[in-house]
Amino acid sequence: MSFLQSFHLSPGQTIRSTRGFKWNTGATQTNGPSQPETPSAHKSTRPLNGNVASPSMNPGITTTPVRQQTSFNPSSAQHVTDFNYTPSHQKPFIQQTAGTTVTTHQDIKEIVEMTLGSESVLNQAVKLPKGENENEWLAVHVVDFYNQINMLYGTITEFCSPTTCPRMIATNEYEYLWAFERGAAPVSVTAPKYVECLMRWCQDQFDDETIFPQKKDGAFPDKFVDKYVIPILRRLFRVYAHVYCHHFNEILELNLQTVLNTSFRHFCLFAEEFNLLRSSDYGPLLELVIELRDR
Amino acid sequence: LMNSPKKLPQGFHRTASSAKTQRLVSVCKMYFLDYYCDMFDYVISRRQRTKKVLEYLEEQKTLEKIPNSALNDEWYGYLQKENEVLRKRRLKPKHKDFE
Repeated sequence: MSFLQSFHLSPGQTIRSTRGFKWNTGATQTNGPSQPETPSAHKSTRPLNGNVASPSMNPGITTTPVRQQTSFNPSSAQHVTDFNYTPSHQKPFIQQTAGTTVTTHQDIKEIVEMTLGSESVLNQAVKLPKGENENEWLAVHVVDFYNQINMLYGTITEFCSPTTCPRMIATNEYEYLWAFERGAAPVSVTAPKYVECLMRWCQDQFDDETIFPQKKDGAFPDKFVDKYVIPILRRLFRVYAHVYCHHFNEILELNLQTVLNTSFRHFCLFAEEFNLLRSSDYGPLLELVIELRDR
Repeated sequence: LMNSPKKLPQGFHRTASSAKTQRLVSVCKMYFLDYYCDMFDYVISRRQRTKKVLEYLEEQKTLEKIPNSALNDEWYGYLQKENEVLRKRRLKPKHKDFE
């Protein structure tokens, strides 16, 4: 099964272009006037370095936009690329970075694209088996996704601390608050605290036999999907959002991108199959989700 | 530090190469590999079982010895059994979670 092969992380297998994530490399703004655009050349492969800021050394750079020149700070010029996810509408507010280590960038791009490879296996696997109770099928999957997210987040707990993530955010535009008591006003908490509360809240529902029946003849409550499945998935999604937006660099470095992308793709396909999440629930990752859906 | 291609938190590589993180990462990868193997195995074998049952019921119908209601009962009995199997999958203690 070709899907399973993608778990053995050997870069350079099937590669699709223009897939996956948007990077804030800032390379797109810099157009060397004499460099022809070739389809195979990724934009960031163009040589960008401190010289750009110095007109005397680079007289042909007149096409560079003024904003680009003023925002460029030669003293901070370094080879930094931020792979953490940012929706395109936030791009102009992100600080441009000056250069990219080309080989690494290309490698990572290829790996990410590969992991989102065009497998239809998952699309098939989320379908309700013939004759099965839909609630049962949803319940099994909710627990599975809970376990997956627990696993994924568990591996980066060292990098997601109250100091690194004092608020549970996903990009600068989304912050998720937690209400500690029913009816109490939701408050801002650190990301690890939020995830901890969220996981305990899920676990409490899984343990409640009136919600997730365990006995053979136990029945699901009325409106099980609207009252329990959807709220749980909506919140579990936020952990993906936080990880994608603020820890993707670490995920790449730990070589967990295959696992994260597969899990998230499975999650989205499942939610779509049963119409569980609206596009507003996808918030910061909406672009990513649309790409997954349209492929 | 200048060679780092990405923005990583300070001390990232020290933490990332620690035994604890390495162990978490490999457990995570194994968990997912195991999960997807098991999940696909379940989905595929369940489809095969259902196909066999439907073929059997179709066969019985053509023989016309057995009333339709009895065949219906057999079908629902089969679904009941499958439902129990699925529920157990949700409840089974996952040893691999605690490796």
